[in-house]
Amino acid sequence: MSALLDPAVGIVACPLVACLVTLTTGRWLPLRGAIPGLVATAGSLGLAVWVALRLALGTAPTHETVYTFVGGVDGQGVVFSFGLLVDPLSALMLVVVSLIAVLVHLFSVGYMNEEGESDLDRYYAGLGLFTFSMLAFVVADNLLMAFVFFELLGLCSYLLVGFWFRDPGPPSAAKKAFLVTRLGDYFLLVGVVAVFATFGSGAFAGPDSFVTAAEGVVDSDTGYTFLDLSGQQVVDGIGLLVLGGAIGKSAQFPLHTWLPDAMEGPTPVSALVHAATMVAAGVYLLARMYGFYALSPTVLAVIALVGGFTALFAATRALVEQELKQVLAYSTISQYGYVMLALGGGGYVAAVFHLTTHAVFKSLLFLGAGAVIVATRHEEDMWEMGGLRERLPVTYYGFLAGSLALAGVFPFAGFWSKDELLFETLDHAAGGVSVLWVAYAMGLLAVAVTVLYTVRMLLLTFHGDPRTDRAADPDSVGWTMQAPMVVLGVLAAVAGVLNLGTLRGVLGEETLLLAEFLSGETLEGFGGLTTENGGFALSAGQYAETLHDAAGYEAAGLSPVLSGMVALALAFAGVAGAVLLYRGDDPDTHVARLGRLGSVLANNDHQDEFQVWLASSVARRAALAANRFDRGIVDGVVNGLGAVALSLGGRFRRIQTGLVSNYTAMLVLGLTLLLLVFGLTEGWWV
Amino acid sequence: MTLTTLPEWAALGPVFALVATALLVLLVNTVAPDSDHGGLFATLTTGGGLTGLGITVWYLLGDTGQPDGGGPIVLFDGNLVVDGMALFFTVVLTSVVVLVGLASYDYLESYPDRAAYYSLTLLSATGMTLLAAANSFVIAFISIELISLPSYALVASMKHDRGSVEGGLKYFLVGALSSAILAYGISLVYVSTGSLGFEPVAEAIVRDGIEFPGILGFGILMILGGFAFKMAAVPFHFWAPEAYEGAPAPVSAFLSSASKAAGFVVTFRVFTQVFDGALGVVDWVVAAQVLAVVTMTVGNLAALRQERIKRLLAYSSIGHAGFALIALAALTGGDDTFVLTAGMAHLFVYGFMNTGAFLIVALGEYWGLGRRIEDYNGLREQAPFAAVAMTVFLYSLAGLPAGGGFLSKLYLLWASLEGGVAVLAVALILNSAISVFYYSRVVRAMWTEPPADDLDIEEHPTGLYAAIALALLFTVLLAPGFGFVLEFAETGADIVTG
Repeated sequence: MSALLDPAVGIVACPLVACLVTLTTGRWLPLRGAIPGLVATAGSLGLAVWVALRLALGTAPTHETVYTFVGGVDGQGVVFSFGLLVDPLSALMLVVVSLIAVLVHLFSVGYMNEEGESDLDRYYAGLGLFTFSMLAFVVADNLLMAFVFFELLGLCSYLLVGFWFRDPGPPSAAKKAFLVTRLGDYFLLVGVVAVFATFGSGAFAGPDSFVTAAEGVVDSDTGYTFLDLSGQQVVDGIGLLVLGGAIGKSAQFPLHTWLPDAMEGPTPVSALVHAATMVAAGVYLLARMYGFYALSPTVLAVIALVGGFTALFAATRALVEQELKQVLAYSTISQYGYVMLALGGGGYVAAVFHLTTHAVFKSLLFLGAGAVIVATRHEEDMWEMGGLRERLPVTYYGFLAGSLALAGVFPFAGFWSKDELLFETLDHAAGGVSVLWVAYAMGLLAVAVTVLYTVRMLLLTFHGDPRTDRAADPDSVGWTMQAPMVVLGVLAAVAGVLNLGTLRGVLGEETLLLAEFLSGETLEGFGGLTTENGGFALSAGQYAETLHDAAGYEAAGLSPVLSGMVALALAFAGVAGAVLLYRGDDPDTHVARLGRLGSVLANNDHQDEFQVWLASSVARRAALAANRFDRGIVDGVVNGLGAVALSLGGRFRRIQTGLVSNYTAMLVLGLTLLLLVFGLTEGWWV
Repeated sequence: MTLTTLPEWAALGPVFALVATALLVLLVNTVAPDSDHGGLFATLTTGGGLTGLGITVWYLLGDTGQPDGGGPIVLFDGNLVVDGMALFFTVVLTSVVVLVGLASYDYLESYPDRAAYYSLTLLSATGMTLLAAANSFVIAFISIELISLPSYALVASMKHDRGSVEGGLKYFLVGALSSAILAYGISLVYVSTGSLGFEPVAEAIVRDGIEFPGILGFGILMILGGFAFKMAAVPFHFWAPEAYEGAPAPVSAFLSSASKAAGFVVTFRVFTQVFDGALGVVDWVVAAQVLAVVTMTVGNLAALRQERIKRLLAYSSIGHAGFALIALAALTGGDDTFVLTAGMAHLFVYGFMNTGAFLIVALGEYWGLGRRIEDYNGLREQAPFAAVAMTVFLYSLAGLPAGGGFLSKLYLLWASLEGGVAVLAVALILNSAISVFYYSRVVRAMWTEPPADDLDIEEHPTGLYAAIALALLFTVLLAPGFGFVLEFAETGADIVTG
C-alpha cells in the first residue's frame, strides 16, 4: 500500500483541509467555519479509533516514508524526510488529540459563536491548523519532522492565544508564550542538529534510527569519542538539549512562565492547546524517543527532578491563584511535572497513562471553567463566584468529575494514573536509584497540595453563597457546551480501567490493558521494528530492559497497594485541610496568614521578574558585546575587503583604455610573460 | 534508435541544418531583395536552430556517438568526430541560436539589412557546431575563423552607430592577432609532431618523445592563447567589453554565450585528449590555473565599478570564463571526468542564464531605456515580468539558489576540491561573493529605486518576451533537472578523458 493511502495520512490531512476551506470560504459559511472543523476532526477521530483498534487487534505498526526532500548522494549523507510512525503510543495519542479536538470544536460553537465573537473564520482556521500540526507531530517518524511540526505548534499557539489581538493582554501573552518556548526550542534545534551530525539519522525507529545508533555509541567497547567526550557523555548532552525543547513546550520549571499568561486566549483554546495537546507535545517527544533516554541515567535523573519539583512548585502556585483559569494553568504545569517524573522514574506506561487521563480531565476542567465564565458573563475571579452548584448542575457535575480525577480520588481516572507513576518511581528508588527518592518525595508532597487547591477551587466556585450578582444569576449553558463536558466527565470517571495498576496484585497483570497495548503484546507483527532478539523495539518491555541494562534501573518489587494507600492518605489530608479552610457559605482568603511568603506567592514567586532580569541584564549585555564585535571587527573586515575590492575594481576598469593598440600590446605582453615564465621553469633553454 | 538506418555523415545533421538555413535565408533575399522578410527570416533562423537542436537531442537520447550506441562517429579521415561532448555542446549552441533568432525579430524591426544579419548568425553558429566536432587542428582553425569572421560583421552591423563599428573593428583587430598566435602555435605543434590531426598528434607526443620540448611548449601555450581569445579569458579578453557593448544586444548574447561555449569545447577536447601526454613538456594545468584565477578576478573586480549594464554583463561573462576554466585547471589527475563534467554542466546552465540576461538588455534597448544601470530604475512597476526574469538570471549567474547556476557553481567548487587545487576554490568563492554585489546593484535598481518620470513602457514585443520566457524556464528548470544535464555531460567527458 502506498504510504499516501495510509489512514494515518487521512487523520493528519482532514484538519488541514478544514483549515484551508475555512480560510478561503469561512466567512460565507454558516457558523463561520465550525462545520468543516467539526466534520474534519470527527473524521480524524473515526480514523484514529480505527487505526488504534487495528493495532489493538494485531495489525503491525506502520513505519513508512511519505516524502523525502533531501535524499543524500548515492546513499551517502543524511536523509531528510517526512514519514509515518504509527505504533501503539502514537495511535493512542492520535485518539486523544482528535477526541479533544472534536469536543473543543463543538464547545467553541457555544463559547465563541453564540457569544457573537467576530473573525471566527480566523479562529477555526487556527484550530484546524493547530490540530493538523499536532497530529502530524504525533505520527512523525523522525526528529526533523517532529521539530518542524513542534515549531508549527508554537506558531499556532501564538495565533490562538493572540486571537483577541485588539485587547492589550492577549498579544503580549502570545508574544511571551512564543518567546519563552522559543528559548527551549533553541536547545531542541541544536539537539536535532547534533543528532543528525552524530548519528547520521533522525529516525525514531528501525535499524537505521538514531536510537539504535546511540546504543552502539554508548557501548564503551566501540571506543567512540567526540572531542574527548565519551559516547555516554555525547548521548547525555544530546538528551539534555532535546529535553530543553520539552521543558519549554511542556511548561516545566524554569520555562513554565508562559503558560499562565497564555490563559489570555479563548478558553476552548486553553482546553485544547494548553491542557490536552500542545503542552503534551514536549513530554510526548520524550516518550517517543524513550529508548534514547533510557540509555542515559543522568538525564533521567534530571527529568525526574525537574518533573518532581515542577509538580510540587506549580501546585503551590495553584493554591494561591484567585482566577479559575490561572489555577488550572498551574495545575496543568504541575500535572505535566508528574508525567516528567514518571518518565524520569522509569515508568513509561505510567507516564503515557497519566498523559492520557490528564488530557481528558484537564480539558474537561477547562471546558467547565469556560462554561462558568460564559455563564457569569466573563467573570474569572473565583472570589466573585460561589454557589453556582444549583444554578449550573451539568457544569457542576462535569467539573466535579474533573476535580476528583485531578485530585486523584478513587476510582476516578487520575487516581490510577498518578498512583501508577508514583509507584513506579518509588519502586525504582527502592531498587537503588537513590536520586529518585528526592523526586518521589516532592511528587508525594504535591499530592496533598493538589488535593488542597482542587477542593479550594471547587468550593470557591460552586459552593457557598453567591458572592456577586453575576454569580447569583448566571446565564444558562447551551447543549453544545454541555455535551462535551458530559462526554469528558464520563471518561474522567472511568478512564482508569485502561490500567488498574494499583490493583495489579488483586486483578492480575493481564488486566493492564494499556501496559499490554504499549508493550506490543496485542501486535501480531512488528512491521520491521524488531530488536535483535525479535521483540518489539518500541515496547514498554524493551524500554524497561534498556533502563535496566544501560541506566541501572531495578525494580524493588514493592506492593502497589501500599504506595496507593500512602497517596490516598495524603489526599484525604488535603481534602480535610481544604474543607477546613474554605468551608461554609462565606470562606476567608487566608492570604494574610502567610505573611511575607504571601507577597512572594502573590508576585508569581518572582519568576517573571527573574526572567526579565535575565533578559535585561545578562542577555542584553551579551548581545551588546556581540554587537560591538560584529560592528567593529566583522563589519570592519567585511567593509575593508569591500573597499579594497572596489578600489581594485576601479583600477582594473581603467585597464580598458579604449585604445586597441594598448590592448594588442597587453595581449602580446601577457602571452610573452606566460611563455617566459613557463620556458624558464620548464627549462626549455637549458 | 541508432544510425543503422542513417549514413554516417548524417551525424553532422545539426551542422547541415544550420548551413542550409543560412543559404535559404540568402536565397530568399536574392530572389526577392526588396520586400520585407523580417518575420520569415526570424522564423527560418529559429526553425534552423530548432531543427539542429531536435536532431541533436534525438541523437543524444538515441545514444548516437555515445558508448552505448557504438562509440564516437569519426568522419572524413578522422578530421571530424561526433561524440557525447560534441552533441552536448551542440545542444547549448543551437539553443542559443533559437533564443537569439526569436529575440532578433522584434529587436531588428527597423533594421535595414536583416538577411545579412540572420545568415551571418547562422553561419557563425555553423562554425561553432563544427568546432564542437573538430578533430584536427586544421578544422579547428577553419571553424574558429568561420565563427569569427561573421561575428566581426555582426558586431559592426549597426553601420551608423559609432560604438557598433568601433567595437567591430576592435574585435577584428584583436581577433586577427589572436588568430595569428593560434596559427603560429599550430604550426609549432606540427613541426614537433609532424601531424595536424588530434589523435596523430597525441600519439606522436606519447610515442616519440619530444626532441625539442621548447618548440612544442611554445606551440601549446600559443594554442591556449588562441583559444583564450574565443573564451574571452584574460589577457585575450580586451575585445569583449567593447564588442559586447557596441553590438546589438542579441548579438552580444550570442557571442557571450555560444561563441564562448564553442571556445571551451575545443579547448577541453584539445587539452584533455591531445596534450594530455605533454604535461612533462609544459604544465598547462598550471597555466590554466593562472588563467582561471586571473580571469575570474579581473572580470569580477572590473565589473564592480561599471556604470553601464552591458559592460557589467560583459565583465561578468569574462569572470564566468574564469569559472569555467576550472574544468581545465583542476585536471590534476584526480577524478578528471568529474572535473570536466562540472565545467561542461556550468557552460550549459550559463548558456541559458547569460543569454537571458543579455536579452533583457535587448528588451531595454528595444524600449529605449538607455544603457546605464540607473536607466533600469523602477522597472518592476512597468515590466514586472522582465524584472523578475532579470533577477533570476542575475542571481543564478551569481550562484545563488535562484536557478541552475547555484548547482553548477557548487559542482565547480566540488571539482576544484576534487582536483586538490585549493586556490581555485578560494578564488571561486571570493569572486562569487564579489559578483553578488554588482548583480545586486542591477536588482536594487529594478526593485527598490523609484522609476524615472519618463519611464513609460507600452509595448511588449512577443518574440523577445518568448525568448526571455524560454531562457527563464530553462534557467529555473535546470535546478531540479541538473542531474539530467550532469548525466550527459559525464558521458561526454568520460570519452575525452578516458
